[in-house]
Amino acid sequence: MNNYQLTIKADDKQVVLERILQVTRYRGFLINGISAKVNTGTNIGTIELMVSSERSIGLLVDQINKLIDIKEVRVDNSVSQQCIA
Amino acid sequence: MATEKKFTGGDLLFNVLEQHGVEHVFGYPGGAIMPIYDALYESNVEHFLCRHEQGAAFSAVGYARASGKVGVCFATSGPGATNLITGLADALADSIPVVAITGQVATAAMGSDAFQEIDIFGLSLACTKHSFQVTNIDDLAKVLHQAFAIALEGRQGPVLVDIPKDIQLAQVNGCLEHLAKLKNKVKLPPANVGSAIALLSQAKQPILYVGGGVGMANAIDELRSFAQITALPSVSTLKGLGAIDPKDSNYLGMLGMHGTKAANLAVQECDLLIAVGARFDDRVTGKLNEFAPHAKVIHFDIDTAEINKRRAVDAAILGDLKVNLPALAVPLSIAPWQAKCQQMANDYAWDYNHPGETIFAPAVLKEISEQMPKNTCVTTDVGQHQMWAAQHMRFDDPSNFLTSGGMGTMGFGIPAAIGAQVSRPRDCIIAVSGDGSFMMNVQELSTIKRFQLPVKIVLIDNAKLGMVRQWQDLFFNGRLSETDLADNPDFIMLANAFDIKAKTVTEKSQVSAAIAAMFDHQGPYLLRVKINAQDNVWPLVPPNTANDKMMENS
Ligand SMILES: Cc1ncc(C[n+]2csc(CCOP(=O)(O)OP(=O)(O)O)c2C)c(N)n1
Repeated sequence: MNNYQLTIKADDKQVVLERILQVTRYRGFLINGISAKVNTGTNIGTIELMVSSERSIGLLVDQINKLIDIKEVRVDNSVSQQCIA
Repeated sequence: MATEKKFTGGDLLFNVLEQHGVEHVFGYPGGAIMPIYDALYESNVEHFLCRHEQGAAFSAVGYARASGKVGVCFATSGPGATNLITGLADALADSIPVVAITGQVATAAMGSDAFQEIDIFGLSLACTKHSFQVTNIDDLAKVLHQAFAIALEGRQGPVLVDIPKDIQLAQVNGCLEHLAKLKNKVKLPPANVGSAIALLSQAKQPILYVGGGVGMANAIDELRSFAQITALPSVSTLKGLGAIDPKDSNYLGMLGMHGTKAANLAVQECDLLIAVGARFDDRVTGKLNEFAPHAKVIHFDIDTAEINKRRAVDAAILGDLKVNLPALAVPLSIAPWQAKCQQMANDYAWDYNHPGETIFAPAVLKEISEQMPKNTCVTTDVGQHQMWAAQHMRFDDPSNFLTSGGMGTMGFGIPAAIGAQVSRPRDCIIAVSGDGSFMMNVQELSTIKRFQLPVKIVLIDNAKLGMVRQWQDLFFNGRLSETDLADNPDFIMLANAFDIKAKTVTEKSQVSAAIAAMFDHQGPYLLRVKINAQDNVWPLVPPNTANDKMMENS
């Protein structure tokens, strides 16, 4: 199992968080932690997502990127680590 | 004195539809969408009343696929909206541009378990490319413009717009918005042309693997010229059929689970696979890690997420096929490989020899294909008849073969044919159906009757859920569980009840005349072709098996 931290920037639009969560689950990633906040000045939300999966993170990044309201998806490699168990 | 009618959200909807060139919509009314149906009354848009919202959704899909335009469907809240879902899922799986408009309970009632309230916005997340719920009348025009732009942009797909009743009734302020241009969010990396050309020129046994993306990108001419210049042997997916000219001597037919032996063997042997608008679907690849095991891969696609999704690629060419295919069109020196592929195509050509008087469905479909007028559009349902149509009919454009590929949805054929006929009133439209699938949207015969649509239905009747029966025979020890349809209704009487002329054939000797009679008849027609319940689709690659280990008729 690999752990990853994603930082996602998105327009603060309807159900954007639900869309991210739905895609993450459907594409085979477990959500281990989440934080989300909106900059009310720019109306841009920042979502930090801790996920784990056997699958390559690129698959999830590409799928989240396809969501209409997403501006950017970054993988924070310094947090990624192999889970021995 | 009559009061001046105010300009409402419902009126605005039709204005925006007209701005996008929408002439036809498919739908079904109900309480929460009544203001929209009231506005329809005065609009120039023609509405086709279907007899089930699933029929409306599939007609919108068929309309879009046959014409290249956006298909539009309407449904009321609650059960109307949920009835659209299968059609939306189908459109998502096959990347079809559809805009679905649903009525919703008034905003004040939302979230209160109101009558016919369902969270269709939430339900839409998994079965649309994008969706909207309009909660402010000032957003309505912008959202509708965005819906059309998103449905068509990049990889196409279905978009749902949920409009609460009070928004439909609300007075529109200000003037009509102009068409929105969607900003292209995903920056596609520059096409990796250099390394792809190097791969092409080194390859000794390359194969062109053509998918549905070619038709969606409107890149048939570019693909055919690419195939001609390179003279690559080619294979097609189910959704790609029609992109390559079926008369091209390097074309080997469909690959995958029910693909031709030549196509599957050539792909297994190739050293370079050039995938164009195809996505390595499991029905195509068989056992994935044994698919084209010696091949390097060049992958052309518009969707970044398809690259390396199921098969690692050596060169990805992202972006518009119309631009990218010509960039790679270089002549190749692969004569021995071409000769080998052509030899395989000859050696493993279809055999239509079928002793006895019972009707052989592949031969019937081949004959229909040979007799059908130019520009005929064929739709299918799902099952054995679908695979026989794909194997034995010939199409010169993907918009002339509409079949539920990704979702494999029974009930697709008749409503999709209705949509196709509405979009192309002068072309012949044929729905090839099975006796199981036909009953899944049989109510749409009423739509055919109402609008006098001259759709021809070819019903391949084996009194079974044939494809499932075949698998039970082959892989479940012949334990036939719930696949017998011996108690089917009298299909001729049923068709006649909808004023559709109908005829049954049971013997080979009757087939040619019956096909001619069907084409000669001006209006809708049902030709029921009775076949042997034991007939199977061959070849068949068993599940999780490499494509060269296909089962054949023995
Ligand atoms: C909506 C839906 N339900 C179930 C299936 C599973 N299924 C696939 S083929 C098939 C049998 C189809 O029977 P019929 O339409 O008579 O066609 P045949 O295979 O006999 O040609 C079934 C049940 C499906 N594809 N779609």
